[in-house]
Amino acid sequence: MPEERSKQDACPPRARFVRGLKLGLPIFLGYAPIGAAFGIVARGLGFTPLQAAICSGTALAGAGQLIALQLLGAGAGAVAVVFTTAIVNLRYVLFGAAMSQHVTGMTLPHQAFLAFTLTDETFAVNIDDSRRGTADFASMAGVGVIAWTGWVLGSAAGALAAGAIGDPTRFGVQFAMPAMFTALLVAQAEDRTHVLTAVVAALFAIGLMLILPDPWYLIVAPVLAATVATVVSR
Amino acid sequence: MSGRIIWAVIIGMAVVNFAIRFPSIAILSRTELPAWAKRWLSYIPVSAMATLVVGGVIRPDGQWLGPLENPYLWASGVTGLVYWRFRSFLGATIVGVVCFLAFTALLG
Repeated sequence: MPEERSKQDACPPRARFVRGLKLGLPIFLGYAPIGAAFGIVARGLGFTPLQAAICSGTALAGAGQLIALQLLGAGAGAVAVVFTTAIVNLRYVLFGAAMSQHVTGMTLPHQAFLAFTLTDETFAVNIDDSRRGTADFASMAGVGVIAWTGWVLGSAAGALAAGAIGDPTRFGVQFAMPAMFTALLVAQAEDRTHVLTAVVAALFAIGLMLILPDPWYLIVAPVLAATVATVVSR
Repeated sequence: MSGRIIWAVIIGMAVVNFAIRFPSIAILSRTELPAWAKRWLSYIPVSAMATLVVGGVIRPDGQWLGPLENPYLWASGVTGLVYWRFRSFLGATIVGVVCFLAFTALLG
């Protein structure tokens, strides 16, 4: 670690930030079309392009935002919409807990910024980078900024050009998230124990999808799989 | 839809999403956790990604799809292989989306 630390110190924060931007570029490319899909639907429900961009820029909630639109479209009230998106995004409590072990020693404002840009993808990329010993605040902030930019620009573009873009699913937009999750899963499966943990989590997820209302399997399956892995690997 | 509801949703989601993300990072990074808890947390990323993949691939949009009618499943397999072989996040994602379109056309 001391060697890694000195290597990082020799590299100026700006270069580390730019490195983070590059690391997060695939997230930008994945988020922009999904953000556009959000923008198109939001516009159809009466959001202005500015409101669509502000919503994406302040919530950065991915699936949570798309579900919010579905509920709004179905006539739900603001409280019900916000509450449902909170449930959908509860897994970030867990992600924040896992992230906490990689950001010890950072200032509270830095941690607040990383929390603000915490998504499924920034989480996985930053944890992976951190385990290699090459992540710090500047690089993590770079990953967060590029992801945020993709989501917000995509949302704004979708809302502005809703009529011209038409149905975004013909570009395969709906597979952008699963594709990123798959690559990030393989990146996390670094040894036999982690591969087995992934298999256990997948089995729990399938079982829980059958018996629990959505989206609880997203929280319960990782908790159970991590518990099994911890007990077995003791 | 009224502008008031839209703004209420925007503000509510902004506050709630930050309130969900921030406390666990801020508190647990300042707490000395026992070794077992750290180990438990180290298994969360791989477990969470596996769960997200399964949810998004086997039951896209809340609908269960069998292997022979599921372009998500096959495209996900190719995406995983490409990442495993080339370690390129961007390459794997792009190849995955292209394969998804191809499998969608193929499987109807």
